[in-house]
Formats: sequence, C-alpha cells, structure tokens
Amino acid sequence: MPRRADIRRVLIIGSGPIVIGQACEFDYSGTQACKALMAEGLEVILVNSNPATIMTDPEIATRVYVEPLKVDFLEKIIAKERPDAVIPTLGGQTALNLALDLHKHGILEKYKVALLGATPEVIRAAEDREIFRGILDKIGAKYPKSHMVRTYEQGQQVADDLGFPLILRPNYTLGGGGGGIAYTPEAYNNMLVSALHESPTSEVLVEESILGWKEYELEVMRDAAGTFVVVCTIENLDPCGVHTGDSITVAPQQTLSDREYQAMRDEAYKIINEVGLATGGANIQFATHPETGERVVIEMNPRVSRSSALASKATGFPIAKIAALLAIGYRLDEIRNDITKSTPSCYEPALDYVVTKIPRFAFEKFPGSKDTLNTQMKSVGEVMGIGRTLQESLMKALGSMEKSDQGVPEVTLSIDKVSYPNSQRIYHLFQAFRDGKTISEVQQLTQINPWFLEQISSLVDFENKFKTEFSPQNRELLLSAKRMGFSDARLAALVGKSEIEIRDLRNLHDLHPYYQQVDTCAGEFESSTPYFYSSYWFNKSVESKIVDPVVVIGSGPNRIGQGIEFDYSCVRGVKAFQKMGHPVIMVNSNPETVSTDYDTSDILFFEPLTVEALTELMRYAKPVGFVTQLGGQTPINLAPKLQKAGFKVLGSSLETIELAEDRGLFSKICRELDLKIPNSAMAANAQEALNQEHNVGYPMILRPSYVLGGRRMEVVENREELQSYFDRHREFISSERPCLIDQFLVGALEVDVDLVRGKDWTVIGGIVEHIEAAGVHSGDSMGVLPPQRLRESTCERIELLSIQLAERLNVIGHLNLQLAIKEDMIYVLEANPRSSRSVPFIAKATGIPLIDLGVAAVCGVPKTQLKLENLHWRNTPVVSVKGVVFPFKKFPEADSILGPEMKSTGESMGRGNDYAEALMKAFISTNVHLPQGGEVFFSLRDKDKENLVGLARVLIKMGYSISATAGTAGFFNQKGVPCLALKKVDEGRPHCVDRIRSKHVSLVINTTASRRAIEASFDIRRACTDYSIPCLTESDAAEAFVLALRKARTGQSDVQPLNATEVFI
Amino acid sequence: MSKAFLVLETGEVYSGKWNCGIDRAGEVVFNTSHSGYEEIATDPSYFSQIVVMTAPMQGNYGADESCWESNRLWIEGFVALQIQDSARDRAWLKRLSDHQIPMVTELDTRDLVLRLRSGGTPWGALVQAQDVVQAQKKATGLIAEKKKLDKDWVYLTSRKQKEVRRGNFLGGPRVAVLDFGAKENILRELQRFCSELIIYPSRAGSSEVLSGNPDFVMLTNGPGDPADVQVAPETIREMIGKKPIFGICMGHQILSLALGAKTYKLKFGHRGANHPIKDDLLGQIYVTSQNHGYAVDPKTLPKDVHVTQTNLNDGTVAGFYNESQRYLGIQYHPEACPGPHEALNLFKFFIEKVL
Repeated sequence: MPRRADIRRVLIIGSGPIVIGQACEFDYSGTQACKALMAEGLEVILVNSNPATIMTDPEIATRVYVEPLKVDFLEKIIAKERPDAVIPTLGGQTALNLALDLHKHGILEKYKVALLGATPEVIRAAEDREIFRGILDKIGAKYPKSHMVRTYEQGQQVADDLGFPLILRPNYTLGGGGGGIAYTPEAYNNMLVSALHESPTSEVLVEESILGWKEYELEVMRDAAGTFVVVCTIENLDPCGVHTGDSITVAPQQTLSDREYQAMRDEAYKIINEVGLATGGANIQFATHPETGERVVIEMNPRVSRSSALASKATGFPIAKIAALLAIGYRLDEIRNDITKSTPSCYEPALDYVVTKIPRFAFEKFPGSKDTLNTQMKSVGEVMGIGRTLQESLMKALGSMEKSDQGVPEVTLSIDKVSYPNSQRIYHLFQAFRDGKTISEVQQLTQINPWFLEQISSLVDFENKFKTEFSPQNRELLLSAKRMGFSDARLAALVGKSEIEIRDLRNLHDLHPYYQQVDTCAGEFESSTPYFYSSYWFNKSVESKIVDPVVVIGSGPNRIGQGIEFDYSCVRGVKAFQKMGHPVIMVNSNPETVSTDYDTSDILFFEPLTVEALTELMRYAKPVGFVTQLGGQTPINLAPKLQKAGFKVLGSSLETIELAEDRGLFSKICRELDLKIPNSAMAANAQEALNQEHNVGYPMILRPSYVLGGRRMEVVENREELQSYFDRHREFISSERPCLIDQFLVGALEVDVDLVRGKDWTVIGGIVEHIEAAGVHSGDSMGVLPPQRLRESTCERIELLSIQLAERLNVIGHLNLQLAIKEDMIYVLEANPRSSRSVPFIAKATGIPLIDLGVAAVCGVPKTQLKLENLHWRNTPVVSVKGVVFPFKKFPEADSILGPEMKSTGESMGRGNDYAEALMKAFISTNVHLPQGGEVFFSLRDKDKENLVGLARVLIKMGYSISATAGTAGFFNQKGVPCLALKKVDEGRPHCVDRIRSKHVSLVINTTASRRAIEASFDIRRACTDYSIPCLTESDAAEAFVLALRKARTGQSDVQPLNATEVFI
Repeated sequence: MSKAFLVLETGEVYSGKWNCGIDRAGEVVFNTSHSGYEEIATDPSYFSQIVVMTAPMQGNYGADESCWESNRLWIEGFVALQIQDSARDRAWLKRLSDHQIPMVTELDTRDLVLRLRSGGTPWGALVQAQDVVQAQKKATGLIAEKKKLDKDWVYLTSRKQKEVRRGNFLGGPRVAVLDFGAKENILRELQRFCSELIIYPSRAGSSEVLSGNPDFVMLTNGPGDPADVQVAPETIREMIGKKPIFGICMGHQILSLALGAKTYKLKFGHRGANHPIKDDLLGQIYVTSQNHGYAVDPKTLPKDVHVTQTNLNDGTVAGFYNESQRYLGIQYHPEACPGPHEALNLFKFFIEKVL
C-alpha cells in the first residue's frame, strides 16, 4: 500500500535532554526519520527541548520547536501547527509517555491528530508489565516469576515468596531507572522504597533472579500487512544481571544454534503480533539458561531504541527511517534497501563481520559512587568496533574507548573486578588470563559464556606467543597480530619497542588494513553505499571513488564533557563542506550518533579514533586534509601526531592549537595583550604548592594537567584543604604532569564566547552568561543569552578582547573563550581553538549558523563571498536559557553539589520573550519540578544569608512557608522573616533531612562553603535527589529559580519555532 | 609445510589454512546464513558442492546430530574465516574431520564471495599443496575426475530402496514421497500431518507410486541441474491431475519440467536464510530459507499455472499453483532448518486447502 494521502503534516517528538538511558541515539533516529519524511514531501514539525541535537537544527525539519516536552506546551504547538499526525516512537520513552499523556488529556482527539507507529494500547501493553505478562501467557512464552508490587507491605510478602536475590523493575521508567538487584532483605527494603517512588504509577515488578543467564536482543520490524523481519540479533557478553545498555554486546548472536535462534525468532513474531504493534520497530529481550536452554522473555520496547541505533549501524539497515516510512503507510516491500539500491527492505541483513559494542562509564566523576553494574543503566556513552572476527571487532572497540593506545593495557588484577560486574571488568578479564587464570575459573567467577572467554584467553595466549616469537623479519606473526586486532602500541609494549617502530615495521612489510563495505547482504548483492570499515583479513579494498575529500574526525564515545554537541558540530560541518563542494569523509566510533549515519557524509568510516586507525585510513583515502575543530577535544589531541604522519590540519594550525592549549604560552600571550588572567602557578607536589600559596592566594582552584570536563578540579579554601587535595590526587600529579593552580575569583560572573575567524572576517556568535557564579563548571552552569547582568559596554569590551585574542592566536575557524567578570574587570580563563559545547546553543539561540561559518573560514572563503551583514547576536529578540540535567539519581552515593568538575549529562533550552519565561521553560525541560506552594528549606553559608533574606521574603509573599537550619533560621527571624528552625543532621532527630524525606519540603536552597560543610550537608542534597525535590546549591541559581516560579504562576507562555540564517551565497 | 588452496576452474587461487579432511572438488557456492552449519552440511542438496559460509565463524555452538538433515555430510568442502577449535569444543570440526571433509579457514571469504557473485559459481577444489602451481595441478585432476560423475545428482543422493514411515497423525492422509535427496525436515513435517509416508527412490515409476494409492505426492528437494534428472519428469507428468502434488525446491523444478516448462541456471544461486518472498497463497510477505542454483522460467509455464510466490530480491519464480489440477511448487524451503519458519504454513495450506 502506498503512503497515506491524509497525512501531510507530521509532528515528531524528540527525547529531550541527554540522560543516562536516553541519549543521542534518539537524535540519530529522529533526524533520520525527519529526513525520510521531508524527502517524501511531508511537512515535518519537530519538537525537542535539547539544543545540542542535530534534529533541532532548523534545516532538518519544516519547523523546529525547542520547547519543553510537556503536555501543555505540546498542546500549544499542536494548536498552532495542526498536524495530521504525531509519531511518538522516535523519541524514546519520553516521547511515548508524552503521547500517552496527550491521548489521556483528549488533546489528540480535540485536534484530530492521528497517533502513528504505536497506539496507546501498544504503549501500555509493552510498558505495563502486568498487561505484558498476560500477553506472554497467551502465546505460551515464559518469563521470570514475578509479582507486581504497589505497596511496601506487599513487597515484603513477595520477597518471602520469591526468595533472594530479587530484581526490581519500576514501571514506566527509562534505562531501568530506580531498579536494581537486591541480594539481602535490607538492600531490598531500601530499594523498594525508591523504586516505588521512581515509577510514575508507583508500581514495581519484583522478579526472581535470572542472574547468569545468557541475554539476547532481537531488533524487529513489522509493517501494516504483517510482514515481519528481524533486523539484527544482539548477544550480551555480560550475562543477565547487567543492564543491556551497560553490557558489552555483539552482533550478530554468536552462540545460539539455528534451532534455538529460530525458536526465539518465532516467539518474537508472536509477541509483536499479540501486542498489536501495527507498524515500526521494536526490540525484544530474551534470556536463555546456559545449560538447559530454557528461554524467558525479559521485555519489549515498541519503538526505536538504543539497541535499534546499534542494530542500524551494525547492519546498515536504517530502522528509524523505515519505521517513519511504515508509519505513514508504506510497507516493507515497497521501500528500497538504501544500500543495495536493488532489493526491497523486507529482508534480514546478513553479516560477514562481527560488531562489538562497549559502554563507556563516568564513575570517576562521582566520588563515592560504587563502580558496580546492575539492572539500572549507568553508562554515559558507547563505542562500536567492526571487524571480520569477534576478536578483531572486540579489539577495535577497545581501541575506540580512548582510554589507552594499547587497547588492552595491563592492569593490576583485582579478582573482585572480575567477579563483580563493573566498568573495568573487560580489562581485568584480560589480566586474569595474563595472570594464569583458566577459562573455567573465570567462568565460575563471571558466568560469562565460555565461548567469549575463549576469545579473550586466546588473545592473551597470542600476546605470549608474540613476545617469544617476535622478530623484525617475522611478517606472518605481525599479520596474525593485526588480524586479531592488536594495536601497534600494544604490540610495541609487548616487545619493548615504540609504537612508531612497530608502525615502521608494518610499513616495511607492507602490512596495512584494507577497507570494505557494510552492505547488509554479506556480499550477495552489489552495493554502492560508502559505509566502510577496515580489516586485516581482507585481501583488497573497495576502490574509493571520491577525489580530494576532507576528513572530519568525530568525537568518539559520549562522555561527560564531550557529547552530542560535538556530533552536532560534525554533522552540520559535513553538510557545510558539501555545500561548498567538498566531498567529506566522516570518521567516528560512536554508534549512537547522526555522524555515523551512512548518508550523513560522502564516505563513512566506522573506525577507532586513534592515530593508527586514522593514519591508515587517510593513507587509503588520500584526503586534502583533516578537520580537528568539530569533534571536541579528541581530534585536537590527535592532530600533532597526524600532522607528523604527513597529513594536513585544516583551519587553525598546530601552532594556534598549541598557543591556546598550552597554559604557559597562553598566559604569555594574554600578558602581551595586556589581558587579565587569574594568578596561577604549577606544582608537582604539595610542598611546591605551599611555596606558591602567596602568589596565588585563597581561594584557589586546583586541577591536574590534561583533563577534560574538569576532572579532579576542586576549589580549595585554605591550607588544610590544599594538603588534602594533594593527598587524594597524588597519583595524577607529577613533575611531568604538574597540578595547575589558579586564583579563584569568588563571586565572579562567567561567560562563554564563541566566535569564528575567517580570512578577512570575524563573526561573534554570542556571549552566554553563566547563571551560577564562578566555581561551577561551564558545562554544569545554567546560561543565558543575551546576558542579563552584564553591561552593554562590558559585552562590547568582551567582543573586542575576543577578536584581539583570535587574531593573536591566528585562529582560522572556531574559537571558544571562557571569561570571568568581576568588578567589571574581564579575566581570561581559557581558550579552546575549536567548536565548543556552547556552539549549538548559541547557533539556535541566535540563528547564526556558526558551524557553516567555521567551515567557510577553514575553506578560506573571503567576506565578499558570504552573507555576513545580518549576523548580530545582540539583535536576537528571544531570550534563551540553557538548563542542565544531572545523573545523580543513578549514583546513590554521589553528591549533587556543583563544582568545577563537570557532572551533567545533558542540557535543555528554554526560549522566551523575557528572561523569566526562558528560565521557566529551561527548568521545566530539565524535569525540575516548579512547586506551586509548600515549604522552602534554607541552609546557607554565612555570606549568602544577607543576600537571600530578600528571596525568603519574596517566597513568603508568594505563599510559601520557610524553614531553615538553626543558624539561618535565627538570622531570618532576626530580619523579620518568619522561619521554622530545623535540626541539622548531627543535632539529633527529627532533623531537616527527616523532614525532607517525609515530603514536607518542596524546595531546598542549600549553599555551602568549606569542604567540611559540603560533607555535612550531603544528606540534605541526597534526600532531594532521591525525592526529586529541586535543590539549588548556588545563590544565583536560587534567585533564577524563584524568577521562574513567579513566571510559572502566571500560566502565560508561548511557543515559537526557531529561525535560520543562510550565510552561503 | 603444505598450505591450503581453493582453486577455481576459472583460474583464481585463494590460499588459507587447512584444518582437516582430504583434497576434494565440487561446485563452489556461498551461503549467507548466520547459523545452521550442521543442517547445511547434511542437506543432500549440497551434494558435490564446496560451501563458503559468509558468516565469519563456524562451529560456535558445537554439534548436535539431532538436527541433521540426513544421515551423512554431503558437502565436498567447507570454507569460512574461522572455525571453533578449542579444548572445550571442537565438535563440529571433528565431524568434518571424521567425514574427511576439507575445512579451510583464514581465507578472505568476502573477496571470494564477490568473485562468485560477479562471475557465477564455478567448479573448484580444496587442496593441500606446497605452492600455487602444485595446487592448480592437483585441482585440475580432481575437478576433471568429479565431472565424470553421473549428472543425475538426484539419483545419486536418493534412496535406492522404498521406505515406509508411520506418520504421527493417525487420521491424516497417506503421502507418497519421491526422494530427490530429501531433507529430513520435509519428512518430519509430513509426519506431523500424515498417517503414513511411503518414500520412493527418485527413479520410481508412476505406476509404482500410484499403486500405493497415496492421498498426495510429495516431491522433495535435491541437488544438481533439474534438466539432468532421469525418469522423474515422466513419472510426475503421468500423475498430474490424478493426485495432488507438492514439490519443494528440486521437486518444484522437476514439476515444472513435467509441465513442459524450462529451468535455467542462476548466476550464483540463492543460498541463505534471508530471502524475502511474496506469497499470494498465504497472502503474506516473509523471509525464507533458500538453497538453489536453478530457477523456473515463468515464460515457459503453461497458461493455467499461476506464479503465486515471487522472490522479491530478483523477481524470480518462487512458487506456482494450479487449483484445478491441485499441484503446488515451492522453490524455497518451507521446512526451514536452517532458517525462519513462516513458510511452514504452506504444509498446512496444502494439506487443508489443496487436499
């Protein structure tokens, strides 16, 4: 059946800010779907509150709304746009839940909007575990024994019935939020409380444990005619007990016989039909008993997912695109396979290679949090490696982690790192074999399928063979090593050589990888799709038909500090290069991204972002040069070695990069230009730091060299804390890697500036004023454009200074500056010679296409050939506020206090006619509840008491009651603010935390000074995190929050699509 | 040390690692299934073929004779990038070795498959040799020898004696099976629906088959070129209209020959578990298991025969049906094993709607 004629305008709902469990894979699916529907001639209306996404680029859809993903805002958009239909299956659980809400509120009916892809019944059937189990019963599928628990008491009975360990799965949460494994009654009771709280319906499925079973996922599609295909099978290396998002997974499945697999496939087919999924993609998770082969169904998701993004990248089958086309009425046999261009889409991809996905974690960002994995997802990103064999793909994936050039470096074996699932387990598995453990020993400890363990242990065996048999003449041995996926750096370490020596040896023996296509059909049909990967198993490469390409290096796995915003830069950059007539090669290792969609660039290389891999592929592709500015810090770090290997950096030169990155050189330039910089010093140990104490002055900010996202960066208030800092971070500080010490500008305002400098022009993208004062990492600070507290003249001075610096550094392309303003003096904090986290936000806030300009600059386009006249960021009529999302709920031991180390996973954008409206939307978009009444609890450091007494008065006027710890309460009462005094935790019970946990408090304002005060108030913030009570840890943020509260009470707010500006003539 | 070579009749030589078996020759074909190595190797339709698996590693999940599709291995050689060979499990390699089937790994199977795709599936040989020259010499001899084989491969793989099997459904029909190199799962499926199976050698005559008075006739899969099959086309021609007939794969092709149609060799055949079929009889599009090197030319089919199944990859005939004469030919493998099960319903369709 062809496309439905009654659907001309479609609303697509995105997934909002990046959170653990729902990340940029939904940008990939949504963008792909938008492109497909636009190509069909449909009008696509997109809504997403996340400005860092590609999908919110004004070029992706007909109209883009960056608005909160909440029913009332959606209704406004629907009323304005009157779409014929909404597709809710592309924006993760957020979009599905929102669609259910729209349905429940009768909004879809009111505006006659069809729901495509999944009906409310299907959404409920898949998400409501009781309904789902009914369906499984009907088709005779098994599932782990379980009970739905709605109360604490009921939970006790269920635990008695099922026995320990138990798995808790709250209903309607994403990434297994609030769930986990309980081994003891004590742990179970605690987890039950929070799980009940996490589920929007206060329902928790308590399930018998299937720990140690083999875990699988089937990515399936179905069309309206009932045609069913399994796009991809995925097998988890980590057995049941670890969330699949946190597991190392491989595709296709490796250890099921055809009979076992077909039985699983049959069951998937039945489930899809019984659930009633009419069209689209779904994933179904199964577990099988390692000995008996008994199979149970774990869950299904009737939408595109993280796994479907992985499956698309693994197979070349564009699930989201096809799902969108199916939703508007097409059938699978009517949609051509993009890759072969000759066969239809109603087939199952055949793979002649293996892919491995490895998650990347951020436990180190959350001191105190335990690095253990369970059914609640904790990873923040992932990589994928493609190889001809499991070993080659696993090793390529490990190489893509950007943890070590060696891929599988030696570690000090710790047996509990083998037996308890954790983020480092794969490295300890290798080490266990190196240290002589046998496969059966490791299997006992891990319950990992021995087939996988054999793959790892034989890699280790080969390491030994390589050590003993290595000789420069032994080409065969070197070839075997490369076929197994060992990096030059690892081989070098094994035989005590340098990476360069091994590389030269490879060159001598003419040992290079070859490049072939991911073609969906294992070579059965011809395909022209330029989706390439390397392998040392190939005899030859596909011929590259592209002449003089530009290589854009991506940003690798998402991590805190480097995420989707750089994928935005890469993708928009690729398009800009193409607009200017340059073919583009995209290289990246992150399967969640839009940049690794095969139709983003002219050629996609799915490869590790290592010097070795990039050198080889550039040797093959012969580009004119490579771009370092778009993929964040990763390509910047690679640039020197790649240039040394003979390839050309495009845009800002290595010298520029070094001037900006090297603190010594950069300080010199600032002094030369008469720009203020904070006092600074370097120290290799505590003694050296103490010697510098007076040159810098307290408070000071300390961090080790070479860090990303403010790792181990702390504000130190006194000598005692200084000493403590060196004690705790000793292993990261040395004379080669000294600790950087800076004067901390208390109370200063911070700003981000992004500009682009071309051949004979410079464009300022904008100035983002941070809402929190200096001391909070720029990634964690809320921000506003245009600035609300800076004078016009200060903004002008900032612009002048920025241009001056760009010129002195001789930037060609992007420059991001971080500045602090105190007492109207501007201090330069740092310069990044690349696109930055703030670029997509600024581009969307102002409509200035910064990335296009950056590419024009790199290409040397003069101002006469660009439309630069109307690019004045300060003319922007809309106020935009950046909101920030944190993952504290996932890390029960972590503190939610903000500081110089970045901890946020994602951001939102609120756009309004004034600051208050923009603030309100930004808070709503980050799921911060704006309480309409109730008690506001204050616990303040001394210097904030005077500042915030006014705020307390305002809150009382608005009808809130006030409580505070004794000191603050005394102060408030003295100032005539009625305030209830509560005990601190160490003053006995009932104390303030009891009051918060018993839900008497609806807002907390908690500012602290010293490290000791921070520790003492931890429980306050933790209680807020656990109970989703807004907790503000900075006085500026508190004031902004109250502004938003007031706006929210007016109930007045509007929605506006984004504007775009074209700079190319 | 001698090395492993795959030598194609057309001159190309691929080298790899020898794992087991003896030098052998056969038609070199590739299969894109992810799983099912055992079913494939024991399927008589792979008689005289060297099978190249595109999935990189074979033998991963061991061996299990209960899924064999006949009582022996029929392939002449097995090629993949890797084979499971560890102390814990080398069961599949051992089976290959026990049956003296050459198994070659560490050969760029993708390169080979692209060659087979573009140039068709030639004869070839897997040999151990010191060098290319020696390999070519050995291969030429083996291929020449292999070509001397009787061309009626169906006869070579078929039972030589009639066999009677009891079905599992007492009230079900009795079926006469013409064994062209039958996969066990066709027989297993028939046993589910029938009360008795009388299985005849491929060259049984129509009078012999009809004398058993079956309720219908099953024509099985089998190897080789249908045009070289002796006797069976006449046997079938004499039964058309008299008994309902269900042909699968080779059975389908010989049925078409009996109807006066022609078959032709596909460039590289269809071998895998992911081929989409549009089935007008079941009113469904589904993914199927396939293994055939020849196809029926639709232009040569009689006018009253409707092409009811089409391969959506290349539009070739995947099945035909004649309601009044009650015969059904299916080119692919509704009995699966290996591969997806959706087409299993064709057995049910035939038994319930055609009979």
